[in-house]
This record gives sequence, C-alpha cells and structure tokens, in this order.
Amino acid sequence: MSSREDGNPLVEGLRLRRSPDSCALVVFGATGDLTRRKIFPALYALALRRLLPERFGVVGVARTEQTTKQWIADMKKAVREYARDDFDAQVWNELAEGMRYVATDFAEDEGQDRVVDALRDLDEQRGCSGNRLYYLAVPPNAFETIVNELGERRSTDGWIRLIVEKPFGHDRDSAHRLNEILQQHFTEQEIFRIDHYLGKETVQNMLALRFANGIFEPIWNRQFIDHIQITVGESIGIEGRAAFYEEAGVIRDVFQNHLLQLVALTAMEPPIDFTADSVRNEKVKVLRSLHTPGPKSVVRGQYGLGFIEGEEVPGYREEPGVASDSTTETYIAAKLYVDNWRWADTPFYVRAGKRLPRRETTIAIQFQRAPHPPFAEIAGEGLRPNVLLIHVQPDEGVSLAIGAKVPGAGMNIRTVHMDFLYGGAFRTSLPEAYERLILDAMLGDATLFTRSDEVDEQWGLVDAIVAAWKRDRPNFPNYPAGSWGPAGADELIRRDGRSWRRH
Amino acid sequence: MASVVAQVERRLAELRVHHAEGTRTSVMTHVAWAPPQWAAAARRTLAGLDELHPSRTILLFPDARKADRIGVDVELRCFTIPGSSREVCSEVIELRLGGDRTRVPGSIVEPLLITDLPTFCRWRGLPPWGKPELEQLVDVCDRLVVDSSEWRGLPGAYTQLAALFDRIAVSDIAWGRSLGWRGRLASLWPDVKSVKTLSVTGPRADALLLAGWLRSRLTRPVKLSHRSAPELERVAVDGEPVPAPRGPALDASDLLSAELDVFGRDPIYEAAVSAAR
Repeated sequence: MSSREDGNPLVEGLRLRRSPDSCALVVFGATGDLTRRKIFPALYALALRRLLPERFGVVGVARTEQTTKQWIADMKKAVREYARDDFDAQVWNELAEGMRYVATDFAEDEGQDRVVDALRDLDEQRGCSGNRLYYLAVPPNAFETIVNELGERRSTDGWIRLIVEKPFGHDRDSAHRLNEILQQHFTEQEIFRIDHYLGKETVQNMLALRFANGIFEPIWNRQFIDHIQITVGESIGIEGRAAFYEEAGVIRDVFQNHLLQLVALTAMEPPIDFTADSVRNEKVKVLRSLHTPGPKSVVRGQYGLGFIEGEEVPGYREEPGVASDSTTETYIAAKLYVDNWRWADTPFYVRAGKRLPRRETTIAIQFQRAPHPPFAEIAGEGLRPNVLLIHVQPDEGVSLAIGAKVPGAGMNIRTVHMDFLYGGAFRTSLPEAYERLILDAMLGDATLFTRSDEVDEQWGLVDAIVAAWKRDRPNFPNYPAGSWGPAGADELIRRDGRSWRRH
Repeated sequence: MASVVAQVERRLAELRVHHAEGTRTSVMTHVAWAPPQWAAAARRTLAGLDELHPSRTILLFPDARKADRIGVDVELRCFTIPGSSREVCSEVIELRLGGDRTRVPGSIVEPLLITDLPTFCRWRGLPPWGKPELEQLVDVCDRLVVDSSEWRGLPGAYTQLAALFDRIAVSDIAWGRSLGWRGRLASLWPDVKSVKTLSVTGPRADALLLAGWLRSRLTRPVKLSHRSAPELERVAVDGEPVPAPRGPALDASDLLSAELDVFGRDPIYEAAVSAAR
C-alpha cells in the first residue's frame, strides 16, 4: 500500500524523499552511446543513493545480437567508465539482477513480443506492477515504428510514460508530425521530451536565484538591465557524429533546444507555483514573444583548421564523414528580442558553437552603468557595468561583478567578483542531469521536460532563421578552431556599442 | 594581552593571506560543546563534517577543573571543490575554556558568530539543565542538536528537554537515526493503526522516541518492549518484524550533517518526546 495514502498520520513530517512507484524501464537503443555514457551511469547513481524504486527492472532493446549476460557486462563497463561515483559491486549486482536484454529490430512483431515477455517476467520476478517507463534513445527514423508498436500494445495495467530524446523533429512540420504520432497513443502527461539542460542543477538554480531572492526580481527588467548574453560554447568538434551533424548543424543541435530554453528561463515571469504546467506556461509565453530576428541579427559560422589547447585540430570540412563543401553551420550568434512589457528593446545576445576555445555555458546579465559615478578621472578605465554571471558549466555557480576601491590613496575603482561556487557552499558533487530527469519521469513530474507547444514555438523561430539562410551561400569556413567565432559575430554586437563578454 | 576575539580575528586574517586562492564559504556557524569525555568524538565527527558543510566551527572544550583561562587555536580547513582546481576553506576555532570561563560561553561565542547565517549548537552528552552555560548557548543559537542516546536518566531527561522547545528549535540525532524505520512503519498503514506493542532492539533513546512517535501520531497507547543494542537492529509491531530500511545506517558525521540541513521546529519530534516520557 502507498505510504502517501491520504489520512496516514505517520507520514506527516517524515523527511523521506518521494519514492517512485515500482516500475520497469525499457531502453530502446540499449547499446548506443547515450545509454552507455548517460543513462546507465545515471541509473547506477540513483541505485547507489537508493532513489530507484525497490521493485525495479530494466529491459534493454537494441538490434545487436547478444545475450543479457553480455549486455550486463557491457553496461557494467560503461558504469565503471562514466559514472561519477566509485564502483560498488553490491549496488551494481542488485541493479543487474533486474536487467534483461532483447535483441530485435524495432519493427519486428516477434521482437516486440519478446519485449512484452521480458516485462511480464520482470513483473512476476521483481514486482514491477505493470508500470512502464519507455526511453526512446534511438535515431529519429526509428521513432515512429516504436511509438506505434508501444501504442498498439499498451496495457491497461499500471501507468505508462515515454521519455523522448532530442532531436524532436527537424523543423516545425516534422515536430508536428512526431507530436501527432505520439498523441495518437499517449496523452501529453505521458510524454517526457528531454532537454537535458533543464536537468542541470545550475539551470534550475536560475529559478531559485530569481524567485527565491527578493533583491533580483525588482531589477530583472528593461529598466535596470542593459542586455543579456548567453553563451553555449564547446571546445570539442563533432566527435564522429558527422551524419547527424551535417543534417542538424548547431541551430538544431543546440540553438533550437538548449539555448532557447535558457532564454525562456531567463526571461520568464514568475510562475504561481513550481508545477509542470505553471512553469511551462510561463516559458511558452516567452517563446511566443520572441521576435523573429532579421538576417542582420543572425550570424552563422563554420570552423576551419585551428588549435585547441595547443593541439592542431582539423576544420569541419576535414572531419570524417563531412562533405568537403559542406555549408552546415557549427556556430551561431543572434540578437533576440522578447517582445513583452518586461523586456521590450532589451537585446538577448546568444551564441553557440563548436571548437570554441573552451567549454562554457554562461548567462550574463549586464546591468546598466551607474548613472553618474562621481569618480570622473577613472570612469571608463577600471570600472565596468555590474554583471551577474550564472555559470551553468563548468565551475557551476553565480558571480557578481562589482566595482571596489583599490586600497591606497586616491579613488581607483576596479571590478572584482563576488563568487558563489556550488561545490563550495554545498559539498556534494552535483547530480548529473540525466539522474534528475529519469527520476522525475519515474515520479511523473514533467516540470523539467519540454511540452509540445514549447517545441512548436522553438521550431517556429528556427524555421524562420533557416529560411533566410537558404537565400545565400555562406563563405565557410569563417572562423578558426580555437577562436570565439567569426568576425561577423563581433560585428553583430559591436554595431550596438557593446561587446561580447571578456573571457 | 589581546582579547580572545581579537586573537581569533587576527589569526584568521593571517591564515586567509596564506590561503588567498581558497574561497571562504560558510553556510552556518556550527558551535560544538564537548566536555572532556566527548572531545575526541567531537573532533572525529567534525573531521567528517566540515567537508560537507562549509561553516565557521567554534569548538568549545570546557574543563572547570583547569585554570581560569581561555586557550585558542584557529585553523583553516581547505578542500578541493569537486571537478575544480579551486579550494574552499572553512574556519575552525577551538576554544579551551578553563575554570569559571566554562560558565560564560555565550559572551565568548556571540562576537564570533557569522552574521545573518544560522547558528547550530551540537551539545555533546547530557545538557546541564538550567545551568548558565546551557542557558547562554540556547540564547545565542538557533538550533540545539543533541543525541539523546548519549544520555542517562531516560525518559526523565526528556521532560527537561521539552522545556526548551519554546526557546530553541531542537534536533535529536537519535530521532534522525530512526527515520528509515519510521518510514517503514508508515508504509504499514493502515494495518499499523491498531498496533498494541512495539518491540525495538537498539539504543534506549531510539526505542523511546519510536514508541513516543507512534503514540502521538496514533493518539492512543502503544506498549514498548525494549532490548538494548548499540544500533537500531530490529523493530516489530505486535510480534511481526518490520522490514529493515534499505541501505547502510548513517555514521555520526552523516547523521549530524542531516540535522544541520533542518531549520525550524519539528512538531512531530516534539510530540514524540512528550509521549516518550
């Protein structure tokens, strides 16, 4: 029986974490990179912290012919390699007892029957109660077949939930199509579209920073903020994902999802509560308010040969699997406007790219300068505007740049940082985004997942930008690997009398 | 001769110069009162704790038999931040109180508290009810953390503890230790509604609090049958064993750490204490 049952006086005041119902997780794409690098290390971390349901099992489904024993050995290796915790054999063995593997082509009826058999076996042996969490860690082309199969075979026993990985579509039309397929068989409450950025502690801390502190919200608007810069930089290249990246580019890989979600969280109005619909209602309002940028407000780029951390790296067109005349963009910078009362005329400068000098995701809120600093002789030298800098990764935390007097005679002012470092104040390692998201899906909490209307709005903006790009052929490559992007990106912000944040 | 506070501040300033790269971060002031027989245990617990809760820790070692003076040691404990090359440093101020100084800890501690952050006082052993040292620390701290399994004279001592509830929020490590078992008992609802006897093998405090909790939540008498053991090993209701909580039991540092994450009064605990007597 449920310990959360109404009227149970014993649960009051228990500081126990909410525990998911007994369930089985079915991972489609069980031999893929995502499963090895993210899903299983996350499951292991949850198991180690006793956050998984007591009655739990995993069915791995993939085309690779192998036995359950071989699959378990492979996942064990992956956990040893990628988990954030030391390996504990007892914890792993408990998890492995509930693991089953089914080798099948997703379209085969016979294979799907074996998945059902494996689940029935888990229900009987592990007490998973018919509850199912399906994780679609598969390429988009396998998506429709699996969803239809699941829909047609859905049981009335227990709950059913679907985690859907990005990319969710290729454009607005294809996203509509995917939503139609999903919604033929599942309700919106059963669909969990992952944008793993939302599972990051620092992204969630943006909400805490804004809405749990009285000092920020009154100045979080066009009256006090000069502009906002959001950077999602990666130093790595495409890491063997040429087939995907040639189709997607940075606009579909990062801009459409992570970057626009960061814009939404930065600009959204306070939700009335922290429930899934309240938060997502506010985010979608921001996405609807985004002004479609004109061609001069978007810059795209592609990296050429260059140096990262002293190592020479090839240009994008020299990467294996990439066309030698590829026009796929690996960099985007844009000036966005949120057309609403709070943000009218306040630019959001956003940029994302590969082969930038370092991995960095930051949101920088640049406040307006002090209206009349009485230190005339130093103004413009050491004193810069206040910047609230949210470090999403790495060095997770928040810092505030303020002007301070340099000790000694005179009145020299210099910018200094007041830092809050996550790892400093809370001495626990931050959970990986996938840990939080998988657990939330088991609990049925969709707050940190994207809703269909959010996805729709995101694609609407991307489609408009891509349509404009089709009118001309870019002159690529236009930035060397290891630089902060093409000259056009600097020009984009310089035209407004501003500059990208110093690194 | 500089005052104790001035000595501490000067020493901290010197240490900060030597650890200029370390970030000074505090989420609380942690005061620990540890009479001689508890000094070693207090140091051990702190060693496992300050990496989890960056704080200014004020360790008070009272010994009324020693000379009427205050001995001071100050150190910075620096830890590398996971995933970063940066360090975070916590301040540990050790004050050895001798003679009559053991009776006036409030005036020594108060100027050393970090402004605007909560102050937790871990009191080792049985508090001297009504004595100035306890009264003063109750007045300057926000939360008193005890472990009633360290006490003799149970359940009588719970009466004196309950008298503090309106003055300071109280945490009891014995109560924290029973959390998993309380969760298990709660999961037996509604069958557990009619329980007549609770059998507990474990520390007496833990058993008394579990029984008090059941009585106060169910608003009816529950008889306690207790067998002593150093750890909470077994719980049964009306002879039926309750499944043990998952995972290993927490150690002393983790238990204290969990209590340091709690703010405000705990009415469920307070009711359990009242019903444990």
